[in-house]
Amino acid sequence: MSDELDEIQAIFFEECAEGLATAEQGLSAMAAGDVSAEVIAGVFRAVHSIKGGAGAFGHAALTAFSHAFENVLDEVRAGRIAPVPAVTAVMLTAFDMLSDHVEAAKGVAPTPIDTVALSALEQVLATGGTAVPQAPAPTTTAAVEEVDEFGFTPVAAVIDDLDPFGFEPVGIILEDLDIVAADASAEASGWTVRFAPSRSALANGSEPLLVVREVEHLGGSVAEVDCSALPPLRELDPEDSYMVWTLSAPGSLLEADIAECFDFVSPDSVIEITRAEPPATAKSQPVVMPLVEAFEATSPELQLDPAPAAATMPVVPKLDAPRSAAEPAAQTIRVELTKLDILLNLVGELVIRNSILTDRLTPREQQRVELPELARLTREIQDNVMSLRAQPIKQAFSRVPRMLRDLSVETGKQVVLETVGDMTEVDKGVIEKIGDPLTHMIRNAVDHGIESPEDRVAAGKPREGTIRLSAAQKGARILVRVSDDGGGIDRPRVRAKAVEKGIIAAEAVLSNEEIDQLICAPGFSTAATISNISGRGVGMDVVRSNVEALGGRVEISSVPGEGTTFTMILPLTLAILDGMVVRLAGQRYVLPLAAVVESVKPEPRQVQLMSPTREVIELRGDYLPVRRLGDLFGFVGSSRAPEDSLIIIVESEAGHVGLMVDTIEDRREVVIKSLDQNLHPIRGLGGATILGDGSIALILDVEALVGTAATAPQHALKGLAA
Amino acid sequence: MSSTNTSGERKIVTFSLGKQVFGTDMSALIEIREWEEPTPLPSVAPYIKGVTNLRGTVIPVMGLAERIGWPASEIHSRSCILVVNIGGNQCGLLVDEVADIVLIKEEDIQPAPDMEMAENVICGLVQITARVTDGSQGEAGTMVSLLDLNALSLTRPTDVAA
Repeated sequence: MSDELDEIQAIFFEECAEGLATAEQGLSAMAAGDVSAEVIAGVFRAVHSIKGGAGAFGHAALTAFSHAFENVLDEVRAGRIAPVPAVTAVMLTAFDMLSDHVEAAKGVAPTPIDTVALSALEQVLATGGTAVPQAPAPTTTAAVEEVDEFGFTPVAAVIDDLDPFGFEPVGIILEDLDIVAADASAEASGWTVRFAPSRSALANGSEPLLVVREVEHLGGSVAEVDCSALPPLRELDPEDSYMVWTLSAPGSLLEADIAECFDFVSPDSVIEITRAEPPATAKSQPVVMPLVEAFEATSPELQLDPAPAAATMPVVPKLDAPRSAAEPAAQTIRVELTKLDILLNLVGELVIRNSILTDRLTPREQQRVELPELARLTREIQDNVMSLRAQPIKQAFSRVPRMLRDLSVETGKQVVLETVGDMTEVDKGVIEKIGDPLTHMIRNAVDHGIESPEDRVAAGKPREGTIRLSAAQKGARILVRVSDDGGGIDRPRVRAKAVEKGIIAAEAVLSNEEIDQLICAPGFSTAATISNISGRGVGMDVVRSNVEALGGRVEISSVPGEGTTFTMILPLTLAILDGMVVRLAGQRYVLPLAAVVESVKPEPRQVQLMSPTREVIELRGDYLPVRRLGDLFGFVGSSRAPEDSLIIIVESEAGHVGLMVDTIEDRREVVIKSLDQNLHPIRGLGGATILGDGSIALILDVEALVGTAATAPQHALKGLAA
Repeated sequence: MSSTNTSGERKIVTFSLGKQVFGTDMSALIEIREWEEPTPLPSVAPYIKGVTNLRGTVIPVMGLAERIGWPASEIHSRSCILVVNIGGNQCGLLVDEVADIVLIKEEDIQPAPDMEMAENVICGLVQITARVTDGSQGEAGTMVSLLDLNALSLTRPTDVAA
């Protein structure tokens, strides 16, 4: 658990770094005179999210300081405090202090003393920015030098310089003000929480209702539900979340308590926790005014006027240079996925153009225009762009251990998790979508697969069951497996249940594989009692439909008494594939090179009929099954004699298989264009690609064609093989 | 973007399948291209003619006549592919001939009588006055069946066995 928390915390600090960078940029822009609403709002959002995260992780000092900072920013944003240079200067100082607080929260620096910066913020807030503790020009210059030397904030210098200028009384009285402000916020009217779950909240397993209930447990209530985003019924996707809740919570709660309810909602949800604006600003105004007057009277040169403010300007550029260079912070930026997609598509086009050029130019011409060099560059760009979207599948696996612990408690079954290949990189879109199926598969494995400890001991197995979670890339596919060492699928019971539920006819003759597939049938559930984990007959059905929606498929293998393995075979969408272009009946197809073992030009009688529909090839003493691609696809008129064809030996989970094609045309890299973007996934095809001449070649999914499809053709290419 | 303007008029593109005239909203039309044999696909419904390359995107081409239960269109010199946008997905429709772009009034659209059809792909009927090239006003009363493109969506596999 602590590891997970650390990981999430690390993400928070990464976000802090991003937030600080945004705030810094915005504040610098403000200091330079750009006080547009977007810039201010950007700074506000950045500080606001730091506060939110800090609250969630219990960094009290950081929360408190960012809260004070945010209050000022909120006023500036609302136009109640003018972002005059002096105010901006205070905010820049506060920003530095905020950075120090973040460092302190990370544990790499002591908690900074923020009283002066806090006071300055409070004062800006209290006076509406009309009076700010302004360090005179010479001091500021000194501070700048210090900054350059230590890369640190001018705060300390300002503290030292306060006394000579008689700032002390102001500070003391500001402390009083602090109390006033604190009182005001303690009595403040309640919290208002705006909660807009991400569209995919339900699919990600963060049911918004649970969160709302949690807030209600704290004494909150739903003030308003905004359903305006609900689309008309025909466009409504029942698995999407459309509503926005406005919740109110008692003012006596800590913000952190409220924020805690939202800890586990997906990160793209919008959560805004605000306190109904306390009328404190107005109340405290009269208290402050005389003080300000006194302050102005004692040190007129400190009064807000453009000149000293201009003198503080040189402070600004330092924010960019030494500080950021000195810190080896995580160098990441967030980029909208759509931008990456556009980039990826453009690179795909570039690759295709490249192969068009290769097609059209003679080798000599290619050399002359340095095409090989262009091709190399293109490939490098392509590799790099591809890697941008790829993420280790670990992200999807990370929630499994926690889930297993909970399941163990609920079921009384003891389970050990083994994870293999969690660094396998998969397209981000795929990772996001496999979470749900994975959850169902794990639940299913614990609930139905693993036996109770007593039964296991009786069967001579260790008390603890093992669930093995593995990921591997195989050609253009990603294989995600969940295996358990449980009792295996109880086929007679599954069959009986399917008959009982009317899924199959009582006299139906089914192979073992077909019986196994039944557990993915809609409305099928064999759990004797309906537990709250699984057994409602939705689990495996959901797994199958989700995986199929991704253009993948689910395979099940089970050995009675030894366990069950579910395999999700998923596409590496939009990937580049090293392929062999083959020709068959006038069409071109691409075979993933990873699956190709060798190609054989058969001698007469090397290919023989084993049965009326099965052919084998004799290869160095072994007999391998041969499949005619034309037959697999149900194309008629592709019955060339084997001697006039080529046999490509491909590797599949079912072993080596020969695929009979007409000729091999080329070997090249192709860009995979998914078919399901505008159509639906087709079994046996991994996608399509556009060749150099603009024509389309279909990419073969060898596994689906000759792997399990070969042993169980009835649910593979139904209707065409017949 | 919408082809419906304030006065309740809509622009539709009309085309023929056999002797019957169909129409679809202009706003859904992406382009009209000459017929070109698409790359055939295995294991798909017979009305899916295959896939073709639309500027780098692989789009399916559907035999519209077969899709709505008529004999397959014969390919001739005026056969063309209407590339349309169906709920964000692109799809090519093989039609016999593209006729015209006409302006119709929303109020002139009659709901399609509920007839014996496997699924309702016709969302309305409208009478248009065919434009004749010699300048004279053509005889009134060509019935146009307005297609409900959403009913033609291909992104869910339809039951091939049925």
